[in-house]
Amino acid sequence: MAETVLSAEHLTKSFGDRVAVSDASFEVAAGEVFGFLGPNGAGKTTTIRMLVGLARPDRGRVRIRGFDVAKDFSRAMAHVGCIVEAPDLYPYLTGRENLLHFARMLPDGARERIPGLADLVALRERLDEKVSTYSLGMRQRLGIAQALLGAPDVLILDEPANGLDPAGIREIRRLVRQLASERGIAVFVSSHLLSEVEQTCDRVAIIHRGRTLATGPVAELLSRSGGGHRIVAKPVEKAAVVLAAIFPGEIQRDGEDALLLPASSGGIPDVVRALVEAGVEVQAVERRSSTLEDFFLEVTGGETV
Amino acid sequence: MIRFPFLPLVENEMLKLWKRRRFRLVLLILVALIGIIVFAQVEGRRRFGSRKDWRIDTQEQVARMRNWVRQGRMPDTQRRWMQFEIARLQYHLDRNINPEDLSGPLFARGFANAASYLLLHLLAIVFAADIVSSEFAQGTVKLLLTRPVGRRRVLASKLAALLLAVGLTVLLGGVVAYLFGGLAYGYRGWGAPVLTGFRLSGETLDSSAVRAVPLWQDAVLVFGLAWFATAAVAAIGFMTSVLLRSTAASMGTMFAALILGTILPRLASTWEFQKYLFVTNLPLPDYYTGSPPPIAGMTVPFSVGVLTVWGALALAVSFIVFARRDVLA
Repeated sequence: MAETVLSAEHLTKSFGDRVAVSDASFEVAAGEVFGFLGPNGAGKTTTIRMLVGLARPDRGRVRIRGFDVAKDFSRAMAHVGCIVEAPDLYPYLTGRENLLHFARMLPDGARERIPGLADLVALRERLDEKVSTYSLGMRQRLGIAQALLGAPDVLILDEPANGLDPAGIREIRRLVRQLASERGIAVFVSSHLLSEVEQTCDRVAIIHRGRTLATGPVAELLSRSGGGHRIVAKPVEKAAVVLAAIFPGEIQRDGEDALLLPASSGGIPDVVRALVEAGVEVQAVERRSSTLEDFFLEVTGGETV
Repeated sequence: MIRFPFLPLVENEMLKLWKRRRFRLVLLILVALIGIIVFAQVEGRRRFGSRKDWRIDTQEQVARMRNWVRQGRMPDTQRRWMQFEIARLQYHLDRNINPEDLSGPLFARGFANAASYLLLHLLAIVFAADIVSSEFAQGTVKLLLTRPVGRRRVLASKLAALLLAVGLTVLLGGVVAYLFGGLAYGYRGWGAPVLTGFRLSGETLDSSAVRAVPLWQDAVLVFGLAWFATAAVAAIGFMTSVLLRSTAASMGTMFAALILGTILPRLASTWEFQKYLFVTNLPLPDYYTGSPPPIAGMTVPFSVGVLTVWGALALAVSFIVFARRDVLA
């Protein structure tokens, strides 16, 4: 396993009586895209504020490359690039002036990275125009360029897909994957979109009402929920009886003429043979594309994202 | 701690002030206001006209006073005043300037006095009110404070830029006043002797410390005091910008305080405690040059002290709050 570059330990934060984040712990390794998934208001942005030292945790600590953000702020932040909540840059400055502004707050070398980063985020043409004329997608890309100015080991992006059109979302997703695989950057991405996390991330933590409900590789979380197969059969009642004998208590009816088999339903040929022998007409067997949504519904007890 | 050079941070802050046209706005205000004042003065004086024979009159006056001084039958203070007056008139005669006329340098010094009642402080607030709060309003504070630069350093760079901007504003005011005043009254006269050191003790004017200095020296002091008072206002405006995180709220608060400072000495002059308020102490260049202070007993050193304490406390609060508070913008 690659080196852990970002770790959060028991992060807790309250505002008055309201607990915004409760005991959040996770680790992100170099070259990994880590998803932080939860509905709006779940505590994602508050967690990010604690990660980058904007808010002080009531309890717990954040370490970046081993440096405690609370105690060794400058050294920790030298390894981080971030966008918190929205890609807010100075609208009255040009893209280049914005990048120069933040390069002045970094060690030597940041300035020289500007042309390369402008190419990376495809902003070279518009770099000398004021940010106030940029589209949201361009601002998001400029924000990412800004975050990469210091050649960070950790990139923290808060809802990078927010407000973008499908092409923009695809572009950001490609960029994030590229940064993780080619440069070995640990990318922490928050999102309230399941599809987004599913398609971009290696591992995911799910946060709901300030609590981290589950953490693990995306594939593993997916296999824990949903999955399985959907069988369209006629007559469906008869099929249900047959399958119930093989998977007691695990068969669900899905619509008029279909049944759902659990994720563990191996041996599909056997199942089909059993159905055929019982005189059931099998019209279709499809692998269910499982989603984090299923998992999320499961862990939050039915609350939607 | 990694330490990056401080100057680039100040450069950033100056760039932001400049790009938001703050300087241009302030320069425009100064040019417009001073232009109007000079125009109004010149128009007003035209009615009285200027005497052509001022030279002869002045020469006669000097000769008369020399005579009196030589005869010596007068109190000491009067003699000293008269000697000064002779020197002053002679200076003007030597340079062929009507001593009754204003000069560009005199106008510039007068501007510093008048502008210390409100104008310079309002301009300082234009800079101070949003230098911190605008970062919160734009959301850029989240980037500014997640760079590997400590919060105190970020705030210190903003303070440095603010004080630089305030200094430039006072300087610019002086330059514009001299240029416009000179256009109307002539550019010469920096060496003219002026009296300084008046002190009001009780009801009488104490002139024991009065001495003559060249106008330029006096003007430097007047502008220095104007700058100091303006910097104190800027420091307090800086604090409201940090505390309120809203440009409008910060400006409103500071404007109200400044206006209170112009009203209070007039409507409640018997309330002595107001001499410890920062707003009462702001027109100190004016009572340095001899006008009565807002409250009897206030002196220039007293006011400098009061403003120093207020400014230092405001900065202390700004730094403590800014370094500790969670950023939730």
